[in-house]
Amino acid sequence: MRKYLAVLRGQMMRGLAYRSGFFISIVGNLVFIGVLYFLWRSVYSGRDQINGLTFDQTLLYVALGSTVFILLKTHVDWVMSFEIREGAVVIYLIKPVDYQMVMLTFSAGSSLLAAVIVTAPTIALLVWGLGIGWPIGVGTALAPLALILAFLISFCFDYSVGLSGFYTESMWGLGIVKDTLVVVLSGALIPLQFFPESLREILLWLPFQAVYHVPLMMITQPDRPLGVQLTALGVQVLWAVALFGLTRLFYSRAIRVLRIAGG
Amino acid sequence: MKRLREYIRLYFLIEAQYIKARLHYRADFFITSVGMVISSLATITVFWVLFDSITALAGWSFEEMVFIYGFYLIAISPMQIFFDHIWQLRFEVEDGRFIKYYFRPLNMMFYYMSEMFDIKGVVQLVVGIVLLIYASANLALSWTFGQILLLIAVLVGGALVQISLVVMAASTAFWIIDSWPVLSLTWKMREMAPYPMTIFSGAFRILFTFVIPVGFIAFYPSTLILRPGDVPMVAYFAPVIGLTTFALMYWVWSRGVNSYSGTGS
Repeated sequence: MRKYLAVLRGQMMRGLAYRSGFFISIVGNLVFIGVLYFLWRSVYSGRDQINGLTFDQTLLYVALGSTVFILLKTHVDWVMSFEIREGAVVIYLIKPVDYQMVMLTFSAGSSLLAAVIVTAPTIALLVWGLGIGWPIGVGTALAPLALILAFLISFCFDYSVGLSGFYTESMWGLGIVKDTLVVVLSGALIPLQFFPESLREILLWLPFQAVYHVPLMMITQPDRPLGVQLTALGVQVLWAVALFGLTRLFYSRAIRVLRIAGG
Repeated sequence: MKRLREYIRLYFLIEAQYIKARLHYRADFFITSVGMVISSLATITVFWVLFDSITALAGWSFEEMVFIYGFYLIAISPMQIFFDHIWQLRFEVEDGRFIKYYFRPLNMMFYYMSEMFDIKGVVQLVVGIVLLIYASANLALSWTFGQILLLIAVLVGGALVQISLVVMAASTAFWIIDSWPVLSLTWKMREMAPYPMTIFSGAFRILFTFVIPVGFIAFYPSTLILRPGDVPMVAYFAPVIGLTTFALMYWVWSRGVNSYSGTGS
């Protein structure tokens, strides 16, 4: 465990070296939330509710979707494809560490730092600065857990694209397909309530909704029955376990095709 | 003029070699193209879902939004195809590789950009054209020769704005080295281009029209074709804005190139 904590700390220290990047992230995200405000105001023009969501609920949902994006997207796919192509991946194979755990703690370091430096101040600014209503309920307490599970699932998506770097160099194509599927089908761009009924039924059975929709619903509608919320968490746990199992299987196969030219 | 012909000949020579090298990776080309198509259609999916609940966005119908988005994809594709190398600038400036571009009797921007020709940008262009044709058929737009000329002219204007904004953002690397924050912010603002600028008010309208003029990449110029009778005043300035931002960008780039002193290695 200690060796992974070292990776986590190292990545946080590295992140701290790029403070101006975090500042720009905050500003960029706030401008983007402003854009979302105008876009959804125009969608709602004159209507109180669409698909059972009020304007305030929808705005909070999409604004938070954009704000937690920086926590949930790990970039581990790009890091891995680079390390595999350059052969640097070999340093993990000769050390007594688990490659997946190293990558996980590596991403967790970046996300933890972003949570403190970007997400928390943004949320504080939204609530106290701009006066966006923040409902409180059971879901509010469960949301941090849901976000951690969402991070684990999102990590599995990025990690499996990273692993395909053992087979192909077309990382751009695979990465963009994964990113597009995740943001469109998870509710990150548009709340799942807006999707046509039949399509929404399908989306709720896919792992993508466990990344954005589940935690965002807990924050925007924290007063839904406890059973509903615990079921959502349970679904997240199932997906996290299943995807970790699958990615470990994938790794044990992929590592066999690795050829590194010299040193 | 002779010089221009020489440059065009050179460009074809360089890109022919580049494309030959890329075509060795057929599978890569296929996966990349699929990725480009899917990511280009993501916004259309968002529109499609939104228009399940509403009939118009700020007065614009689904087909009109598809038209503007198709226009947008076409307008951003020259940046993707011819200027894709700009994303590497900050690395090359940081580690000193950029110094090599000073040693050829060629225009430096030409030389730098010619080192990459992004084929997936062509896929983006094709998706844009398909969407534009689909939307214009559904909207029953009547095309005259004059209108096609106007379309091409405003597309060039939009493309110039897109190229200028990104190259300018990347050129900040000459002064601040790590231009990533500026680049990513610009890239994010640019994603607003296919939305009707009329949904914004106050500071945001001014920001996207005059400060970071992403409104001129797609929305303002495409209104000239979509609703000739109902065009915002600023839209008529679209080609001028394109040329002006390009001139400004070239000035910034030249200043940057002249102030760069390498890394001493």
